[in-house]
Amino acid sequence: MRRLLARRMKFHLFGAFFVSMGCAALYKFGVAEPRKRAYAEFYKNYDAMKDFEAMRAAGVFESAPPK
Amino acid sequence: MANHSQLGFQDASSPIMEELVEFHDHALIVALAICSLVLYLLALMLMEKLSSNAVDAQEVELIWTILPAIVLILLALPSLQILYMMDEIDEPDLTLKAIGHQWYWTYEYTDFKDLSFDSYMIPTTDLPQGHFRLLEVDHRVIIPMESPIRVIITAGDVLHSWAVPTLGVKTDAIPGRLNQTSFITSRPGIFYGQCSEICGANHSYMPIVVESTPLPHFEAWSSLLSSS
Repeated sequence: MRRLLARRMKFHLFGAFFVSMGCAALYKFGVAEPRKRAYAEFYKNYDAMKDFEAMRAAGVFESAPPK
Repeated sequence: MANHSQLGFQDASSPIMEELVEFHDHALIVALAICSLVLYLLALMLMEKLSSNAVDAQEVELIWTILPAIVLILLALPSLQILYMMDEIDEPDLTLKAIGHQWYWTYEYTDFKDLSFDSYMIPTTDLPQGHFRLLEVDHRVIIPMESPIRVIITAGDVLHSWAVPTLGVKTDAIPGRLNQTSFITSRPGIFYGQCSEICGANHSYMPIVVESTPLPHFEAWSSLLSSS
């Protein structure tokens, strides 16, 4: 029982730190990094004119009616 | 525009909004770390695994002073970086004025020709099939894509706010004051927004629609409008 509280507190304080870092890492690698990659992938081979022509053909633009 | 059950941001259509989305993820990570730490400690205390009758705790006092200071710095640095990035206004290709009224917007393009028009919401009864309720307008704000645009925002009567979430723009329209903002659209498309400052009975019915098109189409549209 000697120094039980001190040992337990040290153990749990480390535990708390790892839990919080674990949650942060989970969000970072589960949400934040995939989102950054998704944006990079989208714009890597993005053709603005092709996208524009597709939208124009659908008739959504006020300034550029379909041909 | 947002989907019906959307919780997060709309997809970013400007570089600043991409930065803001990334910063929000960063801030959420910090908030999640703090909340999970507090929850863990709370659970421990409730299960009586963590208690102390110490009256003097210099070491832990130091930790819970230094750690929050570090957290604040972690939040402040990227925040200030984006703040200064948003304030960079270098050589906009076009200056557009947006004037808020009860309950419509007036847009003026006075750079080259004197163009001015009002933009009213299309009522639901007149909405064509497939168009978005309470978001469509009779005259959209047409701008050239991938070009820096400066918007000067003011109001003619009461407070309004010109907001387009996907571009990362929200600026108050204050009578007697000119507020400036700028953006670049990363891609062509149609971007929706709504008035974001309570301005009376029809505050929810004065949307903003920005149409980003290639330069030749923007020029053709502005020539057409100025000649009519």
